[in-house]
Amino acid sequence: MNSTVSVTFETAQGEKFAVEAPVGTTLMQAAIKNNVPGIEAECGGSCVCATCHVYCDGVDRSIIGEAGEQECELLETAAAERRETSRLSCQIKITPAIEGSVFSIPEAQY
Amino acid sequence: MKPGAVIVGASHAGAQAAASLRQSGWQEPITLISSENFLPYHRPPLSKGFLAGDQAEDQILLRGEAFYRDQEIELHLGRVVTEVLPDQRVARTDSVAMPYSALILATGASARRLSVPGSALEGVHVLRDMADAKILKEQLAGAENVVIVGGGFIGLEVAATAAKAGKSVTVLEAQDRLIARALPSFLSAYLKDLHLHHGVDIRFGVSLASFEGDGGRLKHVLLSDGRKLSADLVLVGVGSTANCELARRLGLKLEAGGVLVDQRCETSAPGVFAIGDCAAQPNLHTGTILRVESVQNATDQAKMLAAHLTGRSLPPYGTNWFWTDQYSVKLQMAGIVKDGCEVLVRGDPASQNFSLLQLLGDRLVSAFSVNRAADHMAARKLISSKARLDRNLAADPSTPLTGAVLEREYQ
Repeated sequence: MNSTVSVTFETAQGEKFAVEAPVGTTLMQAAIKNNVPGIEAECGGSCVCATCHVYCDGVDRSIIGEAGEQECELLETAAAERRETSRLSCQIKITPAIEGSVFSIPEAQY
Repeated sequence: MKPGAVIVGASHAGAQAAASLRQSGWQEPITLISSENFLPYHRPPLSKGFLAGDQAEDQILLRGEAFYRDQEIELHLGRVVTEVLPDQRVARTDSVAMPYSALILATGASARRLSVPGSALEGVHVLRDMADAKILKEQLAGAENVVIVGGGFIGLEVAATAAKAGKSVTVLEAQDRLIARALPSFLSAYLKDLHLHHGVDIRFGVSLASFEGDGGRLKHVLLSDGRKLSADLVLVGVGSTANCELARRLGLKLEAGGVLVDQRCETSAPGVFAIGDCAAQPNLHTGTILRVESVQNATDQAKMLAAHLTGRSLPPYGTNWFWTDQYSVKLQMAGIVKDGCEVLVRGDPASQNFSLLQLLGDRLVSAFSVNRAADHMAARKLISSKARLDRNLAADPSTPLTGAVLEREYQ
C-alpha cells in the first residue's frame, strides 16, 4: 500500500517545497509538519480562520473536490485575493490521486 | 549564554510568542519550556477530532519539529522551571540555568477537580492536555455509560463525541441552562435541543454527592437528591484555574484569577510578562479585567507581546472570538456576551444556519453564528470598529452583515 504521496508547495516568492504527505491527512498538515512558510493554520484545521489559503492552479478539481459552503464563506474573507482556484488547505484531503500536485501559497494569510 | 526570551509554557500562547518574536526580528536566544513531553499541539481537537480518532497526535501539531530548529528556538520538553532569580534575571530548570531579558509566563491553566468522595476513582477524568486526552480516548473506547459533569464547552464537546460513538451520555449541569457564562439563553436552549436530538440526557439544577466504585473503579454517580446513575466513565468539565505558582513566587500582582498584565502584557515586575490562559488583562470591550481562555486570546497576546518586545508598532486590539464544534453545528462567537442587549436573530434556527446578534443601542457587541462563517468573520471586524447596524438589514440573512452598517467609529 502506498501510504504517502508527494506534493509541492510554491511560495509567493517562487520557492518550492516538495513534501511527503501521508494519505488520509490534510494538505495543511503536510505544510505545517514540514515547516512550509506561508501556511499559518492558526485554528489547526477547524475551518474557522482562513490562514491556510492556497491556490490550486493546474490541480484537477476531480482530485481535490470543491470547496464546501463554510470554506467558501471563509475564502471570501481571506487576506489575499480570492481566485477561482482558491482553497483552504485544511479542507483538502491527501489521497493517492493528489500525487505530484503543485499548490501555490498566496502572499499573505493575515 | 546570552540573555534572551525565556518562555514558560509551550501551548498556543508560548509557541506563538516564540514564532512571533523571530518573525519580528528578535535576535537574542529564545528558550521555550514545556512541562509536557509532546511537541506543542493544538488543544481544541482534544475534545473532538483527536478524541474521536479522526486526527492522530502528529496531525494536531502547532508546528513541525523542524520549525523550532530552523527558527533557533530552543525547545525543552518535559521540563519545569523550578526557580527564578529576578535580581540576576536567571530562570532555572532542574538541568539548566537560563539568563533572560524577558521572562514570559505562558503557564496556562489546570482543570478544576472535584472534591466529592470518589473523585480519585479510576474512570473519573478531566480534559486539559494531551496526556488527559490519550487516557480519555482509550477509556472512552470501552465505556458504555458516560456521565459528563458540567455543561460547558469541554463537557458538551466530549458529550457530542461520545454520543456520536454510540455511547449512552448524561450531562449534569448545576445551573438551569448550558454554558450560561458565555452564551445568551437562546443559544443555551438551541444546544440543549441539539444534544437531546442526539440522544443525550441532560439534567439541570443537579449537584453531585459522590462517585461510587467497586475495586477502585467507578460504577455509579450519586446525585444530591439521592438518585443514582450507572457510569463507567465520568468527565469533569467544571472550569479551570490559572497556573500562577511561579507568578506567586515572584510576588506578581494577581487579579481575576490570573496574573495581572497591562495592554502590552507586562506584569507588575520589570522584565516579566504573562500571556494566554494565565493572564488577566483589562478588556477594552467590557471595561473589566478578564482572564480569557481561547486560542484567539493566546495568539493575539503573544503577537502583541512580540511586537512590544521588538519595538514594533502594536497590532490593533482585536475582538474576542471562539468556536465550538458539536455534531454538525459549528458555533462561532465574536465579542463577549452582555446582559441587557437587544437580540436579533438572522436566519432560521431550524435550518442550522443562523446568527444571533446582540446590540446595545445600534451597536453590535457580540455575534453567535451557527454554520455562518461569513457572518462571524464580518462581526469580528464590525465589533472592533464599533459599528452601528440597521436592525432590519442585520436581521435579513440574504444581506451581507457588512451591508447593514450605518456607521463605524473606527476603521
